[in-house]
Amino acid sequence: MSGRRSKALPGALLPEDNDSALLLDPTRRGVPGRERMRRYRDEDEVDLLIIGCGAGGGTLAQRLARRGWRVVVLERGPFWDPDEDWVSDEEGAYPLYWNEPRVIGGSDPVELGKNNCGHGVGGSMVHYAGYTPRFHPSDFETATRDGVGADWPLSYRELRPHYERLERELPVAGQHWPWGDPHGYPHAPHPICGAAERSWMGARAHGITMRVGPVAITNGVFGNRPHCVYRGFCLQGCKVNAKASPLVTHVPDAIEQGAEIRAASMAVGIGFDAAAGRVTGASYLQDGRERFQRAALVCVAGYSIESPRLLLNSAAPGQPHGLGNNADQVGRYVMVQGACQVAGRFPELLRMYKAPPPEVSSEDFYETDESRGFARGFSIQTVSPLPIGWAEHVLADGHRGRSLREYMRDYNHWAVLGVLCELLPLPDNRVTLADEHDADGLPVARFDYSQCDNDRANIAFAKRTLHAIWESAGAQDVLTIDRYAHLVGGCRMGSEPEASVTDADHRVWGIPNLLVCDGSVMPTQGSANPALTIMALASRLAERLDAKRGSASRPRRRRRRGRGALAEPGRP
Amino acid sequence: MGGYDFRLAGHLPKLSRTPADPYELPRQRRGRTPQMHGRYPDFDCLSQAPHWDALTRSLVLSRLEPAGPLRFFSAPEARTLEAFCDAVLAQDSEPRIPVLAFVDAKLAQGKLDGYRYQGMPDDRLTWRLVARGLDESARLGGAGSYAEAPVERRDALMDAFAEGTLSGGVWETLETTRAWQVVSRSILAAFYSHPWAWNEIGFAGPAYPRGYARLGRGLSEAWEGKEAAGADPGRETAGRSR
Repeated sequence: MSGRRSKALPGALLPEDNDSALLLDPTRRGVPGRERMRRYRDEDEVDLLIIGCGAGGGTLAQRLARRGWRVVVLERGPFWDPDEDWVSDEEGAYPLYWNEPRVIGGSDPVELGKNNCGHGVGGSMVHYAGYTPRFHPSDFETATRDGVGADWPLSYRELRPHYERLERELPVAGQHWPWGDPHGYPHAPHPICGAAERSWMGARAHGITMRVGPVAITNGVFGNRPHCVYRGFCLQGCKVNAKASPLVTHVPDAIEQGAEIRAASMAVGIGFDAAAGRVTGASYLQDGRERFQRAALVCVAGYSIESPRLLLNSAAPGQPHGLGNNADQVGRYVMVQGACQVAGRFPELLRMYKAPPPEVSSEDFYETDESRGFARGFSIQTVSPLPIGWAEHVLADGHRGRSLREYMRDYNHWAVLGVLCELLPLPDNRVTLADEHDADGLPVARFDYSQCDNDRANIAFAKRTLHAIWESAGAQDVLTIDRYAHLVGGCRMGSEPEASVTDADHRVWGIPNLLVCDGSVMPTQGSANPALTIMALASRLAERLDAKRGSASRPRRRRRRGRGALAEPGRP
Repeated sequence: MGGYDFRLAGHLPKLSRTPADPYELPRQRRGRTPQMHGRYPDFDCLSQAPHWDALTRSLVLSRLEPAGPLRFFSAPEARTLEAFCDAVLAQDSEPRIPVLAFVDAKLAQGKLDGYRYQGMPDDRLTWRLVARGLDESARLGGAGSYAEAPVERRDALMDAFAEGTLSGGVWETLETTRAWQVVSRSILAAFYSHPWAWNEIGFAGPAYPRGYARLGRGLSEAWEGKEAAGADPGRETAGRSR
């Protein structure tokens, strides 16, 4: 494993070319340096304007600011300060979600909001569980291997160095991973709670292999990132700074290297010069005023709902159906994972609210097995809901009134396992513009979703597997909830302009200086949580953009060191 | 029921012929639970409030403040919906968590959930339509309104609503199963964000910045709740309303 030893803390392995963990303050959680962050004027034509500061946009900004690019990131939500803005409370996490109006339809509508949509610096990684598995090599060629889904215009091999690099930057903790491309992790596995122990015992009894991790939560010395305190509120925003999100893993370094993160700025349209066939920047709303930031290159990174919505809302001469949508591909092939959860009941107290919800997982069922009667597969993970999540689980199993209260009182005796089923990319599962408008007068997104037969077979098999695990474990009772998790696709990359939105270098077909870099570019989703792969794609894109720009025009690399946390590392 | 042993699961609704009577559970001795019975009679999560960060503490404690006047629902709507929330949560005696007050505050502030089912109205209108529909259905049974109907009738209407079998009048204009999802998720969020409900289920609360050290099966921090075992010596039924 490469990586450099910290001068400040002998023995601590830190990533190369990313000082975020050292730039953070050891005693406060907010990102230092915001007050001296470089500011660009709207009239400045910056090298790169990124729209959205989540897994894709945050990572890309850090990488290119490091290489001397002049980068501005527009982020619709706030620049979070975990000490000041976040609470250790389930209902109190409401402000972390994208709560603006959207319409959901289709025969199997997907709930949005807290389920899968973030806003603010850090994006939905602020409230993801923390699972960071890699995709398998097979995920990049499901059409060739299994006759379903799509082949990516790039291979696992091209992403692998970026996976490795990001696992050091987050950093990822877990046992050696035997599935897909087997690999280890930089931090050791975390201890697990009683509910995860029970889950693991059940899986073992059923002949299923499980492993601790992989989770992007520090488990050891890592710059000024504190160790996890196991309070169990990963999905409500990590007030500790132990769980990784771009807010703590990439934004501090991006700012130090001269990027501007412009929060509370909602991009509403992309400027397009029809004569030149190029984009010119983006208009955005800030404090109720519409402004326009000029840029040589624009990268949309608003995730699977907002990226298509912005392109569709940016119709221009020659692009009558939205930017990059002349082949009617924008917004199509949006995917979610089938994520039913089954809870098992045991005699002893398990107290699943303790320790991070992501603990042990299995990818034994990840690949296609023809004997199962459907293509592709699923993964199994512990989930551990807090009380409101548990109430939704109990209600979904059909309990109300006294029955609901009884199962709720029984909370501490239960362990919950979930699956992530790889549902297939379908053209009609798409984001379009609804008839209604938001408070700013913009058409809101409508997301239609319907399962296909392969999806239904996969979900049914996965659910049976969870029930079988609890039976093998000797569970006294079980409760089941059907749900979805994650979002990817909507602006997928591909080899042909007729069947995709971008090429392998994230360039929107026909508009050479417009990019998309977020989960929406994924042609398939595997059974893995998408965060790490979104970051790895951004890291790869940055490398390719900078290589293309070439050494001739390479600006000086800025190193503004010796201040703040760097000057006094490890202060207690 | 007599004594109980929660290592066994016979009290659970799917396994027992007769659902366990919550009033057979110990009366809460420390702090409060809704209806004052629970599994953790000597556990009060609020006793840990001094260990919480100030921001979280102020938010959680604000849920204990007396509810102000309703801002979103009219008085008749509120009477109907309070009775409905009580049915969903089986809050059949005092003390009750004032669930509808939390729902009202959220709707008055326009805090919605970031999605709306195609064909459904705005969640705020859905709530008003549900109130109207419940009253209409109650009147068909001869009551003046849902809140005035006998408790068995209120429970039956609540069940019918959840199962999507209500029809006629307002219900014809609404996809009732979606409407059930809209109202039930808000009701559950309000109830299970309240510290009294945490006491009842033995959830230890915010736990920040302290966190946990004893994670394994059967392990507890010294300050976490102990589950009741055996017959309750201090059983009281005085608070029962039915």
